[in-house]
Amino acid sequence: MTWITKNWTMVGIIQGLIVTMKHILRIGNRPTVTVQYPYQKMKVSPRFRGLHAVDEDACIGCGICEVNCPNGTIQIVKYKTRWYPQVNIGMCMFCGLCVDVCPMNAMKMTGNYETADYTRESLVYGPDRLLFKKEVKQ
Amino acid sequence: MFANAYELIVFTLNYIGIYEPVNNTFKTLGIEYVLRIIIVLVEIAILFVFALLTIMFLTWMERKVVAMVQARYGPMVTGPRGLLQPVMDGVKLIGKEDIIPAKADRWVFTLAPFLVFIPALLIFIPLPFGESLIISDLSVGLLYLIAISAVSPIAILLAGWASNNKYSLMGAMRAVAQDISYTIPLAISAIAIVLFTGSLSTVEIVTAQNGTWFGFIPKWFIFLQPLGFVLFLIASIAEMGRIPFDFQESEQELVAGFFTEYSGMKFAMFFLAEYAHLFSVSAIVVTLFLGGWSFPYISLLPAALVPLVSLGVFLVKTYAVIFFAMWLRDTVPRVRIDQLLSLGWKIMIPLALLNLLVTGFLLTVGVFQ
Ligand code: SF4
Ligand code: SF4
Repeated sequence: MTWITKNWTMVGIIQGLIVTMKHILRIGNRPTVTVQYPYQKMKVSPRFRGLHAVDEDACIGCGICEVNCPNGTIQIVKYKTRWYPQVNIGMCMFCGLCVDVCPMNAMKMTGNYETADYTRESLVYGPDRLLFKKEVKQ
Repeated sequence: MFANAYELIVFTLNYIGIYEPVNNTFKTLGIEYVLRIIIVLVEIAILFVFALLTIMFLTWMERKVVAMVQARYGPMVTGPRGLLQPVMDGVKLIGKEDIIPAKADRWVFTLAPFLVFIPALLIFIPLPFGESLIISDLSVGLLYLIAISAVSPIAILLAGWASNNKYSLMGAMRAVAQDISYTIPLAISAIAIVLFTGSLSTVEIVTAQNGTWFGFIPKWFIFLQPLGFVLFLIASIAEMGRIPFDFQESEQELVAGFFTEYSGMKFAMFFLAEYAHLFSVSAIVVTLFLGGWSFPYISLLPAALVPLVSLGVFLVKTYAVIFFAMWLRDTVPRVRIDQLLSLGWKIMIPLALLNLLVTGFLLTVGVFQ
């Protein structure tokens, strides 16, 4: 009751209506903030921790990343003739410890955050999907 | 010119010259009433399609207005500027699973969405969409409108109770409390209009607002009844259950209020009813206070154009009121339930009665003659 008797002139509501009307008419510096996601992407920061990537030549298959992963996400599997880590994204919390402990600086994290998938099996990223080759600079 | 849309259809058929032969065929068979029924059915079909298109457009418009206020785009992907979004929503909702809770009252649970939706469409019957564009000019039109809109609390109560969910029940209780407390100021401020026109018929209310004062101020009741207009507008926004008075939903404290348990098409029915209600209530506001389909100097137009132009005028006015409701919704937060009830009972009803008293007094003294 007191709330109403105090505010019966509805000044606050009218002020609010003016503010929203300014937004509708785009008066002042009010740009549209939407990013139309699938067509238009925001730039991720350089230290963003997304999907892993493993340098094919640098990795020695030592398994330190496997041992250090707090979630038990990484498994060392055989790929072609050598051993490489395999990451289960479904269990990963993207803490980045595996990247920090790698003695060869072979593991790194990319900015790829579009990892949603339809099955659990496809969340297991084997070496075939993780490996990349650094271009050798002469 | 014509009393209602039925006569307009007959006139149009006459104009292209097929009414007489068709009518004669039916007459020789002795079943003229069948033709009448067919014309009425056509009318209902037109109304139904119009209502559905309006509702779909309103769902799109609501999102666009909210998006503009919040500096977003709103739907953009489906169709030009997202215009096909309502269609895609329909497809999505039809595809959804229709769940009935195990302990729910199955019959009441299934019936409630229809009970909400059908009155929302029935409100369209005495609405004068334009000169002679009215389904039926009831002599008790205004009473009919208020009575029909009073059906929806019952359906909401049924829906909330049948869901067997305490949040739904609380939402329904709140909705009923709100509807009952706001129907009274709504009806009382509408009665003040009836004092002016001496008739409950919506057509006569609109014709009473034809013409101008001093040649430029339209004779709309908003200028005679400013307080009544404000009260009616607030009460009808509360009746619609929109923000700032959306106690029946209360997404934050009651999950979604009375339709928490509804899914798929039944959920859609509630939303369709809400938007049908938004349109019809805005149309009632326009009819009562903003001159309906009339505007100054409409009588100067050629007679053949009048139904079309008046329909346009009516729609423009109605959409202006709808826009105001959406604008208000995007601006103010929800009030508390005790604030709502005390606003209704302690402020709006006394003010509405005062408005009625002053109107009656001034009319008796003869100020408005
Ligand atoms: S990624 Fe690094 S830590 Fe992991 S196996 Fe390869 S070299 Fe060892
Ligand atoms: S980011 Fe963390 S959780 Fe994910 S694989 Fe590396 S160590 Fe394990």
